[in-house]
Amino acid sequence: MAPAYKLTYFDGRGVAEAARFLFKYGEVEFEDVRVKRDDWPQLKEKTPFGQLPVLEHNGKQIGQSISICRYLAKVVKLTGNDDWENLEIDATVDTINDLRQKISAAHWEQDAEKKKKLRETLLNETIPYYLQRLEAQAQKNKGYLVLGHLTWADMYFTSGGTGFDQFVGSNTFDKYPTLKALREKVEALPAIKKWMEARPKTEF
Amino acid sequence: MAPQYKLTYFDVPGMAETCRYLFSYGGIEFEDVRIKQENWPQVKDKMPFGTVPTLEHNGKVVDQSLAIARYLAKKVKLVGDNEWENLEIDATVDTINDIRQKIIAVFLEKDDAKKKALIEAVKKDTFGFYLPRLEAEVQKNKGYLVLGRLTWADFYFTTLSRVFDVVSGEDVLASYPNLKGVREKVNALPSIKKWNEIRPKTSH
Repeated sequence: MAPAYKLTYFDGRGVAEAARFLFKYGEVEFEDVRVKRDDWPQLKEKTPFGQLPVLEHNGKQIGQSISICRYLAKVVKLTGNDDWENLEIDATVDTINDLRQKISAAHWEQDAEKKKKLRETLLNETIPYYLQRLEAQAQKNKGYLVLGHLTWADMYFTSGGTGFDQFVGSNTFDKYPTLKALREKVEALPAIKKWMEARPKTEF
Repeated sequence: MAPQYKLTYFDVPGMAETCRYLFSYGGIEFEDVRIKQENWPQVKDKMPFGTVPTLEHNGKVVDQSLAIARYLAKKVKLVGDNEWENLEIDATVDTINDIRQKIIAVFLEKDDAKKKALIEAVKKDTFGFYLPRLEAEVQKNKGYLVLGRLTWADFYFTTLSRVFDVVSGEDVLASYPNLKGVREKVNALPSIKKWNEIRPKTSH
């Protein structure tokens, strides 16, 4: 019988990897569809808003990577115990996403001069600003990002690690030992370790 | 007794207005703190990640406007009946947020010629792409954006749509009667109508 869920994205980690981590962690079967660049133009028209990833379940299609993660987190029980706790997780995920968007902007900038400037600001100001605060937050939360235990915020954070190392530099987390330990802790979870070994090796 | 909630933002609707609408709709008292631009530098450093809005409750402070709005939406029961329904609302909210991020670029552009070009791009590629699709969603959902009834997605759309005309210089929703209907319906709710009468007067 086909899996209950189908996740469609490009052939990369990108903004879909967090969802894949959640599926794997919760041992929820899913069809991991990877769209080739050449096939994207025709498929684009069929998606809700011309974007990936798209999650399909019970004949319904939905986009938006973080919202998909929030839904899956409930399915695999990596959420808070009440609305305020879920607000704390949501806020941290959104903050990490803000950082991700800034890194992305610097990475994909085409103009060489602009890119150089963006990268300098990123490395000297933006990344330290966010990671210092997230480091302090994790220190107050027994090594996890929120609520003193594993939540989908930690999955979201860790799933972006490989891309972060690629774009920014893999030594960055040496300055943030609590965050580094968190990444290692999540990557060592058996289901995640297995997935990271088995997943396609991709450019992004 | 002081209100249980304190919302801090600038003295504009902006990213906080959805939250103010939700408080008003639910009849929940809140301290509506508005920072003056000249005081922002001092206030910024006290915020978790240097951003507003923030929500203070029971001595705790959280940031991220949409995370806060989602929490308030649960309090005032403008959410789905199950996790998939909440995913549908979240995805629509994220899509509206994608529109917002594209519009912001216009406001941030200082060069007049570039600004004009950005406005044309927003009209064609942002409004022209997203609004027809959202219009179709409303037609399928009995005059609401999601689930055939009022949800917080309708509030977010309504508060954001204030700036559509500011950006483009036109009555953007004139061509989208169903979307216009959502805004009118939301603003006609007694609690929202009252809020719009009593709120501090701002430029939009």
